[in-house]
Amino acid sequence: MTAHAAVRHPDNIAASPALSATGVTVRFGGLAACADVSIVVPQGAMVGLVGPNGAGKSTLFSVLSGLRRPTAGQVFIGGRDATRVSARARSRLGLARTFQQPELFTGLTVREHLVLAHRSRHAAARLWADLLVAGALRGGTGPEDERVDYLIDALYLRDVEHQLAGTLPLGTSRLLEVGRALATDPSVLLLDEPLSGLDEHEAEGLARTLRRVNREEGVAMLLVEHDVAMVLSTCSSIVVLDFGVVIATGTPEEVRTDPRVRAAYLGDEPIDVPDPDGAT
Amino acid sequence: MIQYVIAGLVLGGIYAIASAGLVVTYRAAGILNFGFGAMAYLIARFYYFLHSQLGWGIVPAALVAVVLAGPLLGTGLYFGLFRLLRLSSPLVKVVVTIGVSVCIPPLAAVLFGTEPILRAPGLAPEPVQVFLVAGVPVTMDQLIVYAAVIVVLVVGAFVLLRTDIGLRVRAMVDSPAMTSLSGTNPRWVAVGVWATSAFLAGLAGVLSAPIIGLAPTDYTLLMAAAFAAVIAGRLCNLPMAMAVGFGMGILSSVLQFLLPPGSALTAAVVPSVPFAVAAIFLVYNLLRWGSVDENDGVGGALDLAITPQGAESLTGTATSAPPGGAARRRWSGAIPSGAVLVVVALLPLVLPNFWVGLLVAGIAYAVVFLSITLVSGEGGMIWLCQVTFAGIGAITSAQLASVYDWPVLLAVLAGGAIAAPVGLLIGVLTIRLGDLYVALVTLTFGLLMDHLVFSRDVFVNGGLGVPVDRPTFATDDQTMTYVGLAVFVVVAAAILNLRHSTTGLALGAVRTSPAGAKTVGVPVVRMKVVVTGLAAGVAGIGGALLAVVAGSALPENFLTLGGMVWLAVLVTAGFRSVAAALIAGVAFAVVPGLVLVNLSASWNQLPPILFGLGAIALAKNPEGFVLQNGRALRDMAMRSIGRSPAGHPRHPAMTTASRAAPVAEGPGPVRVATEGRRSVLTETGERP
Repeated sequence: MTAHAAVRHPDNIAASPALSATGVTVRFGGLAACADVSIVVPQGAMVGLVGPNGAGKSTLFSVLSGLRRPTAGQVFIGGRDATRVSARARSRLGLARTFQQPELFTGLTVREHLVLAHRSRHAAARLWADLLVAGALRGGTGPEDERVDYLIDALYLRDVEHQLAGTLPLGTSRLLEVGRALATDPSVLLLDEPLSGLDEHEAEGLARTLRRVNREEGVAMLLVEHDVAMVLSTCSSIVVLDFGVVIATGTPEEVRTDPRVRAAYLGDEPIDVPDPDGAT
Repeated sequence: MIQYVIAGLVLGGIYAIASAGLVVTYRAAGILNFGFGAMAYLIARFYYFLHSQLGWGIVPAALVAVVLAGPLLGTGLYFGLFRLLRLSSPLVKVVVTIGVSVCIPPLAAVLFGTEPILRAPGLAPEPVQVFLVAGVPVTMDQLIVYAAVIVVLVVGAFVLLRTDIGLRVRAMVDSPAMTSLSGTNPRWVAVGVWATSAFLAGLAGVLSAPIIGLAPTDYTLLMAAAFAAVIAGRLCNLPMAMAVGFGMGILSSVLQFLLPPGSALTAAVVPSVPFAVAAIFLVYNLLRWGSVDENDGVGGALDLAITPQGAESLTGTATSAPPGGAARRRWSGAIPSGAVLVVVALLPLVLPNFWVGLLVAGIAYAVVFLSITLVSGEGGMIWLCQVTFAGIGAITSAQLASVYDWPVLLAVLAGGAIAAPVGLLIGVLTIRLGDLYVALVTLTFGLLMDHLVFSRDVFVNGGLGVPVDRPTFATDDQTMTYVGLAVFVVVAAAILNLRHSTTGLALGAVRTSPAGAKTVGVPVVRMKVVVTGLAAGVAGIGGALLAVVAGSALPENFLTLGGMVWLAVLVTAGFRSVAAALIAGVAFAVVPGLVLVNLSASWNQLPPILFGLGAIALAKNPEGFVLQNGRALRDMAMRSIGRSPAGHPRHPAMTTASRAAPVAEGPGPVRVATEGRRSVLTETGERP
């Protein structure tokens, strides 16, 4: 399971990356939450983004997903300059994300989340056209039902399929966030601390699912996670942020031994992958 | 000229005091108080009662009314009401303060009597002394306003900047959570803030009485003008708001000097100044800041962290996020809604003519209320000018039917067709600004229309309104009731269809998580704009229908402040359910009739008080009583047939509310649409 994306998708590395950003700077008054941050997520790769609290990870995420406009810098999706593209339009370009605090639609059922996400990517006209026809009587198309059912099963959501999202426990909410993002059939998925708040069993299940989706569907992922052991064992490359600056980039092995990373983020203790306690 | 500047300074000073009172509670409690004008009126009326009716001296009357009763009112409202709103959604906050503004004027009439007041004295002894300052006459009343403004400024600045209390208040504004961790009880700070705000309301009220008189609507207008200054201060900037308040006062006064006296232009321009100021600053903010986020500067990181996540951004609260069963039954609300419809449809056959006459108006109201169901229930926004769209529909259809001889039903549709693009336009201009600004701008737009359009002779027609004849086949109330019901059913069916369509899913997403909706590709702003256009169209049709029912389009039936009562009535019943709209419409028309027939004249203030209280009750029960009791009834029915209802993770607050609202026995027309006695005309399981 520790096989690296670089090994699995050697051909894709040369293609234009699924997502990249160059020189992203975000200032809040005098504070630079991100300063000249550059990051590359190759097609089909899993990239980890780590750093202590306040390092600028969430800010970078909001810039990448289009919810915040950077003070300077550029964002590319599939090689296309998307810096001035809205969050909504980025979803059409194949970018999806999850939120650290689940941003679910509390009044919609689990299945409706997936249906809506799928339609807004593949049948956007229905957002308006259903006003004029008896929309409730029109179900999904074959491919839509197929995809939604697949995701429901893949994310273990069958039992709660018709429950309102507002009633779900945190672990299931995180699964649904991932499912909603995948229902838009993204080429790159941003995951903001998907495992935080989950118990060991749930975290293990979600991590397995993410790896499977990456492997089977070739969805590139950028993963922010405090569980460093999980990041080191899952991602093919890792970017380390500290005080808004990229202090290291490389394979898990390189990052683990990088003295700046040890000093700035992990303390002086060397990281021991199999022992998550020592890493956090 | 200088004389006008001096007069303008007086008005500006009052605006400044009022805007300070508004900003203080917004910053400290996150509540933009739409009941501020009514509070000002209540204190001013109390002062008049003590001073002029009971013959108290100026000083004791002012001390008791402004210094004692004002802060007491604020403290009482805080403990009784605003305290409960801490975690409520913006929609609930706005509606509850609107409930306050609906409640207070009739309450004042009950307390202090209803005899018309021609002239209200201020704080200066009568006859008012006039001084000559540099050759310009200045009255004692004006001097008192200057002195009051200076005292407020100096004392306010000193307390906020130089005292320990001020430090705590400022700390609490920045982060209530951190402040309470450091040992300050936020409750006592909040009490102080509300008491101060109510004191400022009372001061503004008593000071403005000699200028604007003692009619409650004028106080709400005064507050609406102060809102312009608050907008200029981006809701939070106290010095900016006060400065703009001053500026507006002077500008109004100087314009009066520059424009030809007594002309129609002057009459139109001068009252429009605050609204123009609001518009200018909105555009400026939009250009300068991109968007205006009303959450900016309210609370710190810890406050954000402990704010419940996933609560509906507008329609839900921490306590109401997952109402209803865990699983949703599609269309399960259709049968009980149908039952309500059948009961209403049978009423004309059994009721005496007098009641059918009220019922037919109630159904027209219900159509208008459906526009609020759309814009608030589906769109998750607070629009305060649905009544204006109804008015636009009414006067348009009346012109077309009477002046241009259109068939009346076609004219009704045209009323909707004219109102819809107006709604779209306002939606396009404001939705990007954020929810509170939508409420403020729509209030402003409504008041502006009242001033500039609804007061024109061509529409007022000597106080009769432009006549509209009913369709020839429906001249009697009974047939007209069915025409109205047919319109209602068509619109309601369209709303239910929307709710269950992809559009409805997307709107549900936009309501609960705009950020989440954007990232899956839902066009948030466009969805909301479309809903506002639809809602304006529905309001236009409903307003036209009201005109047809009444036989004429009378603009004074469509004033913005009256629309606040409509909103209060609808949310009392519930803004997410079409059956609630029908019940609310019928109740709004029939309850005053019931009071009129069954109780003595001294009770005729009861309906507006009840409607206001209903909106206030939203603080405890954000869903409205129809959904609430509907669900309780459904569960009871399920239990009685031996099936356990679907699991309800119901919050204590909600169960308390349903306990507090016992369900009346037996069928029949709705009695009172507020707490206490509730109708059994219910529906269940409609999409929460």
